[in-house]
Amino acid sequence: MNPINKPILLIEDDQVDTMVVRRALKELHVANRLEYVENGEEALAYLRDPAREHPCLILLDLNMPVMNGIEFLQAAKADPELKRMPVVVLTTSDEQKDKVESFELGVAGYMRKPVDYQQFVEIIRTIDAYWTISESPA
Amino acid sequence: MTIGTQDILIKHNARWLMDIAADAMLIADADGRILLANPAAERLFGYTRDEFTGLTVEDLIPRSLRASHGDKRAAYATQPNSRTMGAELEIVGLRRDGGEFAADVSLSPLEKGQVLATVYDITRRKQAEQALAAAQEFAESIVDTMQEPLVVLDADERVVSANQVFYQVFQLTEEETLGQVFFELHQRQWDIPALRQMLDEVLPQERRGKAFELQHEFPGIGSRTVLIDARVIEGKSDQPNLTLLTFLNITERKRLEAEQARMIHELESANEELKNFAYVVSHDLKAPLRAIGSLADWIAADQQDRLDEEGQEHLRLLIQRVRRMDGLIDGVLRYSRIGRIHEVAVAVDLNELLHEVIDSLAPPAHITVMVASGLPAIRAEKTAIQQVLQNLIANAIRYLDKPQGRIEIDCIDQGQSWRFSVADNGPGIEARHFERIFQLFQTLNPRDRVESTGVGLAIVKKIVEQCGGQVWVESTPGQGSTFFFTLSKNSQ
Repeated sequence: MNPINKPILLIEDDQVDTMVVRRALKELHVANRLEYVENGEEALAYLRDPAREHPCLILLDLNMPVMNGIEFLQAAKADPELKRMPVVVLTTSDEQKDKVESFELGVAGYMRKPVDYQQFVEIIRTIDAYWTISESPA
Repeated sequence: MTIGTQDILIKHNARWLMDIAADAMLIADADGRILLANPAAERLFGYTRDEFTGLTVEDLIPRSLRASHGDKRAAYATQPNSRTMGAELEIVGLRRDGGEFAADVSLSPLEKGQVLATVYDITRRKQAEQALAAAQEFAESIVDTMQEPLVVLDADERVVSANQVFYQVFQLTEEETLGQVFFELHQRQWDIPALRQMLDEVLPQERRGKAFELQHEFPGIGSRTVLIDARVIEGKSDQPNLTLLTFLNITERKRLEAEQARMIHELESANEELKNFAYVVSHDLKAPLRAIGSLADWIAADQQDRLDEEGQEHLRLLIQRVRRMDGLIDGVLRYSRIGRIHEVAVAVDLNELLHEVIDSLAPPAHITVMVASGLPAIRAEKTAIQQVLQNLIANAIRYLDKPQGRIEIDCIDQGQSWRFSVADNGPGIEARHFERIFQLFQTLNPRDRVESTGVGLAIVKKIVEQCGGQVWVESTPGQGSTFFFTLSKNSQ
């Protein structure tokens, strides 16, 4: 993913889902480092920490404890420092409401997590391909 | 009397006067024998002048009244005085032909006990009086049979009249009500500030008080909700104005409204809960399921060398069941989502729609799907009807067991609705399963043989019924099934 020296930030509370993303990235030989936090609040803390490097892409789960994905998006899009950061939602939810709210908050994509691992790999492959070609504002 | 009329009378006698009189005149002696009758009397009673002279006064009244009339005549003879019309006596005349008529009689005593009687036929006046009485009775009966209590007050707010229902509902008697000040009735049951304000302030200005609702604890009766309507009845000429109050007892209606509101609220919250439930299911059941699927996949991949054939087979079955459960959860979600979002009805070309559906299902080569020619373009919720047709055709394809499969799709105009049919020559369904197959998660085959979530027909039923239609199946086991559904033309 472009730029290759920047990390990918995964905001995900489920340990196995994190393993799935990590394994898929590895399987696809994605060189970017994977950082992960367990909820929106931790993600904001990470992103506002000057010692941390800003990610090239955020993969965001919606249903999380403490601060869920939509709440995170609201906070991030209201923050001039964070609002341009590309976010791809990676969720179980097929709810129309979640999709509408996500895009209203300017997400770059909305992917449903499949139950089948191989399909999951395909989704990550597509995200990687896209963000390898796409330019980012940062 | 003027000079002119004197002149007229000078030239004529009394006979002439009687002959030209329009009213019937008779002269009788003290014993009631008729001495003289004028032409008007002949016309009224139907006797000739000669016949009259053989009659008594009693012959001119009905038999039943004769005896008492003799006494009255005798009494009159002792104290003869002029008696004018309408002296409170009910008098009936008898004609020669037996016909009777309501009459009024003026009596003028003459000399020697003789009497001049002028007889008036008052049949028409009586009829008018009876009609008036009937009209009044009719009006009173309406007032009394009205379901709503009503009461009329005078300018001093005293009760002028009230109907029976008023007495019944508010447990009052006529004696303790009529003439009393309304606000002092029965433990001052009506002494309600809002009502006083309406009568004293609103009504004098507006003539008709706005109907208002009043909940009040009536002493000895209990809590009632009444809709009170007040209006001023304008008094004719010098009559004073009256106030008419009607009371609609809406206690029960209010109770039902409250009950209905409560039920609607319950239903809404149940619906909301269900929606949330579906949402929770999608997240909370799917996340662990996905983890199981991924982990099983990795064991199968990473531990391939260490697993024997049986272990690998078990893992394969495990992953298959994970997918099945994933399908079931998706089915629940799809099922629960129906009807939450209503589409707009659009023009749907059935030929086009069916070709799209059949293309997307890609039926295998041995199955022929035939669409009846000349299907109409209809107005319908496109996604809904597409889903229904897709599920029915997909089922037909999935279960077809014949080497030459045939599926026929038709739609006929039933006037108020369209009736669709999807017929196949598949295995057929026994009649005892006709209801069950439309229920959620009900399948007739072991899931390992035909992969099915048991949601398809339940979704069909839910969509069709939400569009105001019906769905049913006809089948001959071994030969095939035909699924029918109707779609109302004006449900949108």
